[in-house]
Amino acid sequence: MLKVDSLSKRFDGVQAVRDVSFNIQQGTVTSLIGPNGAGKTTLFNMICGYIKPDRGTVHFKGKDINGSPPYAIAAMGIGRTFQNLRVIKMLTSLDNILLSVPDHQMNGILGPIIKVLRKDSESGCREKALELLDFVGLREKADDLAGSLSYGQQKLLSLACCLALEPSVLLLDEPVAGVNQEMIINILALIRKLRKTGIAVFFIEHNLGAVMEVSDRLIVMDEGSIIADGIPSVVREDPAVVEAYIR
Amino acid sequence: MDYILHILIMVGIYSIVAMSLNLLAGYTGLISVAHAAFYGIGAYTTALLALKVGLPFWINIPAGILVSGFVAFLIAWPSLKTYDDYFVITTFAFQIIIFSIMNNWVSFTGGPLGLPGIPQPEIFGITLSSHLFFLSFVVAFGILTYMFLTRLVNSSFGRVLKAIREDEIFTMSMGKDVMKYKVSVFVIGAAVASIGGSLYAYYISFIDPTSFTIMESIFMLSIVIIGGAGSLRGSIVGAALLIFIPEILRFVGMPNSIAANMRQIFYGGLLVFFMMFRPQGLLGEFAFGKSGHKESKEVRKNA
Repeated sequence: MLKVDSLSKRFDGVQAVRDVSFNIQQGTVTSLIGPNGAGKTTLFNMICGYIKPDRGTVHFKGKDINGSPPYAIAAMGIGRTFQNLRVIKMLTSLDNILLSVPDHQMNGILGPIIKVLRKDSESGCREKALELLDFVGLREKADDLAGSLSYGQQKLLSLACCLALEPSVLLLDEPVAGVNQEMIINILALIRKLRKTGIAVFFIEHNLGAVMEVSDRLIVMDEGSIIADGIPSVVREDPAVVEAYIR
Repeated sequence: MDYILHILIMVGIYSIVAMSLNLLAGYTGLISVAHAAFYGIGAYTTALLALKVGLPFWINIPAGILVSGFVAFLIAWPSLKTYDDYFVITTFAFQIIIFSIMNNWVSFTGGPLGLPGIPQPEIFGITLSSHLFFLSFVVAFGILTYMFLTRLVNSSFGRVLKAIREDEIFTMSMGKDVMKYKVSVFVIGAAVASIGGSLYAYYISFIDPTSFTIMESIFMLSIVIIGGAGSLRGSIVGAALLIFIPEILRFVGMPNSIAANMRQIFYGGLLVFFMMFRPQGLLGEFAFGKSGHKESKEVRKNA
C-alpha cells in the first residue's frame, strides 16, 4: 500500500533521516518509536509532502508520490494528524470536518464565484460528517467551536477530520500524547476499529503501553536510521533497541 | 442637506472597499496594503472609458472589475509566494508601482493633473446629477456587494478561507490547495474594490493619483480593523465611524488647515486605542493578528 524506499534527509549538517525503507500493508497497525530527534516526524513530513527528501522514493498504491504537494497527497488518501494538535479553533467541529468537502467547482479562479451563484449542495457531506463525529463520539459537540473542546476531544476531532478524506493510510503523530487514561483507551479502540475497515494505521508514539497494545508491527528509529523492525514483543527485547533507549 | 448626502455617499463607497479588503485581511488573514491601487485601477478604467470612448456605466464598471481582477491575478503569484510580514511588504511594493504608473504615464492617465470632467452616469436617459440619485446608486451597489460577499464567506469556500487564516498547514492536510484559494480571494477582493473606485470616479468626476496612495490603503485597513476583522457589517460600521467623526472637527470652529492634520492624528489615536483595548474591533469575532478566542464554559467545566 505505502512503500518507502531509502528515504534520506539532511538538515544543515544533521542527518535527520538516513536510508529508511519499509512497506505498510493494508489493514495493519504499525507503530514507530524512537528517542527524541530520531527523525520520526521528519519521516512523516516527507511521506506527506511537507518536506522534500534528498534521496529516496515514496510509492502509494504503486504510484510515485514524491514531489506531489501536501494537499494532493492528502486528497489521494494519506491522512495525517500532527504532533502539535491542529484543528481550526474558530470553526465548529462540524465545519472542521466539512473542510474536507472536495472542491469540484474550484476550477480556475472563477470557481468560487460560480459556486456562490449556484446553491451549495452540502447536505450529503453534512450527513457523512455527522456520522464521523458519531464514530469518534463527538456528535453532540457538532455545533461547538473546536476551540471550546477539551484537549482530548480536539485530538478525536483531528482524527475525524483526516478520516473525512476517506484515507487508506493514516499517519498519526503521537495520537495519545497528553491525554488521560480513559481517552487513551478510547483512541486505541478507534484505531482497532479502523484496522478492521482495512485502513493501514501508522503512528508515532512515546507511550509504550499503548504501542504494545494495538500494534501488529513495531519500527524503531534512532539517529535517523531504522534499528529494528518486526513483531512488537520481539523488537522490544532487541539489544540495539534497549541500548538506544538506555543511552 | 447635500452635505449630509455627500457624507453618506462616501460612507457607501468606503463600505464597499472595506468589505472587499475584509475578505482578504479579515477572513483570509492576507494583510494587503495594495488595496488603494485596485480601487484606483477601477477608478481609472471607468474614467478613461467614459472620457475617451464615451461608454455607459454598465460597461465601464464591469470593465473596471475585469482590469482590476486581471492586474490582481498578475500580482497574486509573486505576492502570495511570501508570508505574513513579507506579504505586507510585497503588496506595499506593488502599491507604489501602480501609483507610479498612474502618476507618470502622463499621456494615458493625465499624470499628476489627473482626469477631470468625468461624465455622470445615466440610467434610462436620466443623468444622476443630484446627490440623492447618486446615493441610491451607491446604496444599490453596496447592497449587491454585501449580499455577494455574505454568501461567499458563508459558503464552503468561505470556510476554507477562515481555515487558511487560522492554520495553513492543517488546511493543506485537509486536501486543500491553499495557494489556489489565496489567489482566488485576492482577485475577488481586488475586483470588488474596483467597484468602489468606479463609483468614486463618477461621483467626484475628477480623479488624480493622490487619491490612491499607500495612505489610502492604510485608511482602508484601519476601517477593517476598527470595524472588526471577519465581520462584513463591521466594515460598514467602521466606514461610517471613520468618515463621520472627523467631520465633527469642522463644527468646532477649527481652521481647515489644522482640521486636516487633526484627522490623521485622530485616525492614528483611534487605531492605537483599538489595538490596545479591543483588538477584535467593534463587531469582529477574533483578535486581529492572533487566533485568540474566548474559552467557553465547556472548557472550564472539563478542565
